[in-house]
Amino acid sequence: MGSRRIAVLAFLLTVILTGSAAFGAAPVQLTFTVWSYSTDVILDNIKKFEAANPGIKVALQDFAWEKYVDVMTARFVGKTPTDLAYSSDHWLQQWAAANWIVPLEDYFPQVNAYKPDFAPYAIEGMTYKGKLYGLPYYADTIIFIYNEEMLKRAGFSAPPATWDDVTKMALAMKEKKIVEYPIMFQFQDITPWYIEVFLSMVYSYKDYRMFDTNLNPIYDREGSAAHKVAQWLVDGMRKHKIINPASLETTEIPLVKAMGAGQVAFAVLPKYNLADLNTPGAHAQAGKFKFALMPGESHGTVGFVRFYAMTKMAADRGPAVREAAWKFLEYFGGRTGNEFVVVKRWALDKGLGFAQLPLYKDPQIRAAINKWGNVTLEEQQAKLARAKEALTPFWGSWSLEFQKEMNKALLGQKSALEALKASAAKWREMKK
Amino acid sequence: MPPRRQYRETRYAYATVLPVVLIVALFTLYPFAFALLTSLREVVLYRPWSQPFVGLKNYLDVVRSEFFVASWQHTLTFVAWAVPLATLLGFAVAHLLNARTPLAPLLNVVILLPWAIPTVISGIIWAWIFNSSYGAFNGALYSLGLIDSYLPWLSRPRSALACVLFAHIWKEVPLTSILYLAALQAIPEELYDAARVDGAGALAALRRITVPLVLPTTLIVLVYETMVGIVTFDLLYVMTGGGPAGATSLISYYLYNSMFVAFNFGQGAALAVLLALALVALIALYLRLLRSEEIYAT
Repeated sequence: MGSRRIAVLAFLLTVILTGSAAFGAAPVQLTFTVWSYSTDVILDNIKKFEAANPGIKVALQDFAWEKYVDVMTARFVGKTPTDLAYSSDHWLQQWAAANWIVPLEDYFPQVNAYKPDFAPYAIEGMTYKGKLYGLPYYADTIIFIYNEEMLKRAGFSAPPATWDDVTKMALAMKEKKIVEYPIMFQFQDITPWYIEVFLSMVYSYKDYRMFDTNLNPIYDREGSAAHKVAQWLVDGMRKHKIINPASLETTEIPLVKAMGAGQVAFAVLPKYNLADLNTPGAHAQAGKFKFALMPGESHGTVGFVRFYAMTKMAADRGPAVREAAWKFLEYFGGRTGNEFVVVKRWALDKGLGFAQLPLYKDPQIRAAINKWGNVTLEEQQAKLARAKEALTPFWGSWSLEFQKEMNKALLGQKSALEALKASAAKWREMKK
Repeated sequence: MPPRRQYRETRYAYATVLPVVLIVALFTLYPFAFALLTSLREVVLYRPWSQPFVGLKNYLDVVRSEFFVASWQHTLTFVAWAVPLATLLGFAVAHLLNARTPLAPLLNVVILLPWAIPTVISGIIWAWIFNSSYGAFNGALYSLGLIDSYLPWLSRPRSALACVLFAHIWKEVPLTSILYLAALQAIPEELYDAARVDGAGALAALRRITVPLVLPTTLIVLVYETMVGIVTFDLLYVMTGGGPAGATSLISYYLYNSMFVAFNFGQGAALAVLLALALVALIALYLRLLRSEEIYAT
């Protein structure tokens, strides 16, 4: 064998060996799907995670919030590779029942150690059939936001404590021509926030329950909290004309913009919008917004949670992927070096709420929240928050029926009670 | 031609067409057959372990639903306005474009722009234009003194449907006008000259020459616009979300809700089959009403 041939063989052997070595050390690839919100922050968090975990590579795919559930359904049904995903309390039942996402504690028993840190409504929102399915990306409450300057101009020094107060103050604003429609909601037929806002108002009453223990609707009874809220909304829109009729075409962002422009005095919105509204330079009225405990008897509201979930696809890919997935989940939703690094960043940079209660003791967090909000009041509202009731697999489709029927009442096509009865009938039909 | 050679040529023709037919079958017949089979089973995504055969139950459930009747009413109202308007306006615009002016080539390109814009984008644009708080439409009416305050166009059932209809026609007229323009330009000028010599006016020429000769195009336009009108979804989704109170929920929206909201693929497939049958029936009706060969023969 000539020396040239030996050299060639040696070279080939080297190539094969280094190639296989490289192949053996190939990083674990994870696909992570999110809805589009501050994608730059997500990418930066991923970069930091990858730097801390050199054996893992994360591919991010983002989709519009409004279309997210459709996209994910198509991905799951079509078995498009997806390992980790944003999920939400109101899809959990469907996704878990369809076996698209898996209970974390079945694979990572250590996840239970986090439970004492989480707000009860968040645990409830991430739990299906007694098992925890995620670690929180963010958790928040629906709050009552008001324009303090408008309120003062109308002659009031304190925010409303009941829904009757809201009516009284709104009528005063209307009378003084401060704003034509002081109240606006995001009540487009299909906006996911509609039902959450309605339930927040319902939960502000003492006898707030929408369903009995057997998941039968009781909200369609005359005099129920839901009936009171529905009637208040109908009267506000049709009798007092204090609720903007354009609410029926409005979604979250247009409502925030209208409020920021000074066209709305009162709104019920997810809390993180307060941070946006009070960001200097972001809106004409920035800095004039405050929040009050949800008006009503008990000041209760809805607490919701969005969380990181692991898919069945990831679980089936083997122990290396599962281990990488847990590292990812813990980095993003849990502790890194005894700190909720990513969750804290979302709270500081974007004003997102959190389910990780120890963060309320963090001086940085407290100072940051007080810049645009009121950390004491926030804590108080969080303690009064409740997870949504009766989150069944058909809850999502029922909520759309509910919204459509409620809008019929707001348009005067039905009475408030008739609308509630119609949606309750839909629930019973779906429950069969 | 000898029979053997004819046989060879026939075989060759079939052999060359077969790959295309197979590909088309793969992407049309297979999905349709799959939908048909799905429609006969109970397929609910969050119950993947149980997909029993249920026969026509999905069809019965769908037809009995209150939403089925309402969405068909909205759909037929939408189509009843959209098809004639898109057809007549397309015909009228084509007439204008057919005028031999120096600007005609430029206008031919400009007129196609709305059609070239993706539907979702045009939906967003029109949703902004008709927005109750900051919409340009309200702004224009207000500055002209036609309204005292901004009106919630997309928050009222009738006006919301009218807004969607307007956006739909804005998008469809360019295509129908280009189709008609091609048909008009194919009519020999001599026919009009002869008509003028015989003393026919513009209206008579339109009735006796233009309309009969563009009838095949009219048939295509009617069939296409009916199909597009019935399956309109993206515009609604973006502009109104099917609201307010379901007033702009067409049958396509009901289908979407069944599949992607309720996760009931069995009912969704049943609806899709019913929708396909309705389209076939309507197309057959058009073909029967507008048999151009018979009209040419008279």
